[in-house]
Amino acid sequence: MAELTQNEKRLLAILEKEKKADAPHLAGLLEATPEAVVQWAHLAQDNGLALVERAVAKEFVYTDEGKAYVKNGLPETQLLRFILPETTLADLQKHEAFKIGFGQLRKKGLVKVEGTSVTKIAGISTDADETSLKNPSDADPRTKELIKRGILQETETVRYTIAISPTGLALVKQGLDLRGEAGTLTRDQIISGEWKNLNLRKYDVSKLPKKAYPGKIHPYQRIIGEMREILLEMGFTELYGGIVQQSFWNFDALFQPQDHPAREMQDTFYLKETLPLPKGYEKVKAMHECGGETSSTGWGGIWKEEKAEQCVLRTHTTSVSIQYLANNPNPPVKAFCVGRVYRRETIDTTHLAEFEQLEGIVMDEDVSFGNLLGILREFYNRMGFESVRFKPSFYPYTEPSLDAEVYVDGIGWIEMGGAGVFREEVTAPLGINYPVLAWGLGVSRIAMLRLGLKDLRYLHKSDVAFLRETPSLRPNKGGI
Amino acid sequence: MAVITLPYKYLERLTRTDRKTILDKVAFIGSDVERIEEDHADVEFFPDRPDLFSPEGVARVMRGYLGIETGLSSYPVKPSGIKFTIDPALANIRPVLGAAVIRGVSFDNESIQSIMSLQESLHWAVGRGRSKVAIGIHDMDTVKPPFHYIASRPSRGFIPLDFKEKMTMTEILEKHPKGRDYAKLVKDFPLYPLIVDDDDHVLSFPPIINGERTRVTLDTKNILLDTTGTDKRAVAVAVNIICTAMAEAGAKIESVEIGGVQTPTLAPAERMVSVHECSRLLGIDLTTASMAELLRKMRFGAEPAGADTVKVQVPCYRADIMHDWDLFEDVAIAYGYDRLESQPPKTFTVGKPHPVQVNAALAREAFCGLGYLEVMPFTLTNEDVLYRKMQRDEKKGVLHVMHPISIENTVVRTELLPLLLEFLTLNRHRELPQRLFTVGDVVDFCHTYQQAAGVSTHPDADFSEAYASADAMLHELSIDYTVKESADAAFIDGRRGDIIVDGKKIGVFGEIHPAVLNAFEIEHSVAAFEFDLRAVPGYPVL
Repeated sequence: MAELTQNEKRLLAILEKEKKADAPHLAGLLEATPEAVVQWAHLAQDNGLALVERAVAKEFVYTDEGKAYVKNGLPETQLLRFILPETTLADLQKHEAFKIGFGQLRKKGLVKVEGTSVTKIAGISTDADETSLKNPSDADPRTKELIKRGILQETETVRYTIAISPTGLALVKQGLDLRGEAGTLTRDQIISGEWKNLNLRKYDVSKLPKKAYPGKIHPYQRIIGEMREILLEMGFTELYGGIVQQSFWNFDALFQPQDHPAREMQDTFYLKETLPLPKGYEKVKAMHECGGETSSTGWGGIWKEEKAEQCVLRTHTTSVSIQYLANNPNPPVKAFCVGRVYRRETIDTTHLAEFEQLEGIVMDEDVSFGNLLGILREFYNRMGFESVRFKPSFYPYTEPSLDAEVYVDGIGWIEMGGAGVFREEVTAPLGINYPVLAWGLGVSRIAMLRLGLKDLRYLHKSDVAFLRETPSLRPNKGGI
Repeated sequence: MAVITLPYKYLERLTRTDRKTILDKVAFIGSDVERIEEDHADVEFFPDRPDLFSPEGVARVMRGYLGIETGLSSYPVKPSGIKFTIDPALANIRPVLGAAVIRGVSFDNESIQSIMSLQESLHWAVGRGRSKVAIGIHDMDTVKPPFHYIASRPSRGFIPLDFKEKMTMTEILEKHPKGRDYAKLVKDFPLYPLIVDDDDHVLSFPPIINGERTRVTLDTKNILLDTTGTDKRAVAVAVNIICTAMAEAGAKIESVEIGGVQTPTLAPAERMVSVHECSRLLGIDLTTASMAELLRKMRFGAEPAGADTVKVQVPCYRADIMHDWDLFEDVAIAYGYDRLESQPPKTFTVGKPHPVQVNAALAREAFCGLGYLEVMPFTLTNEDVLYRKMQRDEKKGVLHVMHPISIENTVVRTELLPLLLEFLTLNRHRELPQRLFTVGDVVDFCHTYQQAAGVSTHPDADFSEAYASADAMLHELSIDYTVKESADAAFIDGRRGDIIVDGKKIGVFGEIHPAVLNAFEIEHSVAAFEFDLRAVPGYPVL
């Protein structure tokens, strides 16, 4: 049995004396409306403490038309009274009740019309109809006829009678706590100790709460945060750099030939702005043209300063890490950068013109390609991907190069990102004398897998409902 | 990326093994198998390996990798006795010419298709869309040597490939599909490049289109290859790749005399490499003998030459070998990436977050405490959102991208607040209140820095809420500020404040102007604020 409300208790207390009463009467005693009393009674009935009887009484009421007929008689009765032996049809037509009454007279066969004369038929009358009009009854077919004619209306009145059940009576006999219920606990009640006498309203725990939405970090930011933490734990220093970069740092310093397709207008966002080339750029120029002082042949051709001065929206965060290396040429360097990068791609469900890239570099005296594989294996393992494998690949500024793939249950091997050792053509002109291991990965790919997104745009044009519903903690199942 | 069609029967004949063995291993030399079909596979190779853009080239390397035939492939070249002259007037137009005679070819539909697709892939990967290199392949028995590479008046006409009537070169640039595609490469020159035979028949209008006369058919037995361009090395590579692929298919290669020099020679280049350097780079123990063996597996000529040296003969088709490390990558591939010992480096280092990201994380924490939900809008947007809808003037330091993809993405954001309002538009139908924030990069000319912004919308959102939230954020980030009445038209007059630090405006807060709400189609009042995170004490100078 659910906890009784204060009102149920009050009702039961009254019923103990009244035993059985109708709702208006109880309402008077309880100083409430009959409707409220019926509602409490139903609650008590659900708990088996009371019995509610619903009785429907039919009543007939007269319409305005009917009221007039009660006074003056039905129209047909009025006409009958009017008809004398000499009465003509024309006379009758002048009577105000003619329109309705004459039809009834004909229908009921009370008059005979011959030519212009109207005569009553002896032995029949409208007496029974008049009786029905004055004493309507459910069983009387004439009453039904009067309802049809719009003279009478039938209405229903519901009456509730409420009685206490034996269980209810027993309960009341045990004694009811009739103290008033309190909804809130006030400061005064707490301090004064009055709370001891309080009857605090109890809540139904089976009801769902009203939704509360905490302020929280974007699920994508959380994934970025997780990657940052892993790299910080692995001893990497975080880098931050501008999204606007000179072509020199975005391409040329990375030995990307000036006629490389990736540098064309259709793949890169160019800006009108230019920046002066850094000191010592000539070494990069020489590397492009003839391989500088290394065993490289360079790209040949003429390297143009103005192409290198032009600013672009960075196409990779490598533009940030290469500058860091140029400024910090002494080993060891372990650094990473997560940031927005830009590609001039048509935007659709799986391609964005801007997305997050994570990139790491390691420069040290004796680091090898094997160490690079080791770092990647460690990183992906910590992300939750247990199986990692490597494939030969090609990137213009690394040699040897590789692609890392991870195994995801139910999907298979997924390419996660590229890596390699910076070419000597990249490092030598900047005065970096040790191998640099570099690797990058598309953060959004992992986010898409983890959040089960079908459309990458959703990361950046998010539905608030999606953000509210995505829990902060999502169990990691094999990396996703 | 170049996707190459490999017909199984042809590939099996050339490789001398079954398709399964080949396809199981082809990814290990650097490729992605795109599709496995009934009679062929489509495999994608990297742009640095144009020598793999034909079944012949793939078979050559797979024979080595599978141990069927290792070491250098040699391609004998006989002089053809044919000369090619170059008009000095081409010096500033398209100066470089390469050519070769290829005899004894026997084409079927498949092998013609394969040579045509090799030609197209080379145009793309080596030729940079035909600007650096363009290749013409001709039935040599339809023309008479010697051949002449000349600079010709654009009014000269000939019948271009796939057409029936004679057209002038000007007309070809306007009407022929290839002419329209590549017109930009020649149209600004007064004279156009043209290749003719000794009877003045046109072979080719490089880099646009061949003549119909020299069309290669199933009956073609002998081929004249012309390769023109602007870069000597690229032209030579294209010639070498085509000639060696044709030689792999059984043809005989003959050289042509250009400017007194016999070309091509198809001779390997030589490099002396250090075993120690290679071992260190890859992290494996190698000897001169083991390294030479691995290189031979990748089809290099390689012999130990001293205690630490391997003498390597680099085949003429390996355009990608620019540096010793390029050879070391081949050593790693031959060794197998899966066999390399993968150990993280041993040097001890301490991780350190960047102060900008530390600040951003603290800002996020404070926002969350105030009940704000993070969103991560795009950084590319447009002037309409950033300025017009906000009733603000365009900022001086806004960057316009030169070739935007759409009118939606024309500038890099200079503030965050308008993008948050866009979010409110997007989420109009979602439950209120909505409190959203973002922390992220904005630009001022070429300088990038971070801002933080928050919006709150519900029927009672007002100036007091904006002020209280902004004050809480600024306090949490230790920004010591004062407030002045603002003139920012994005907010309601009398319900807006400028955030001042050291006499400089670093942010703004207030109740968004109803005209701005109308512009963004937002239906409830919005309390908003934005400030520059450079005001955080200790923000690094970048």
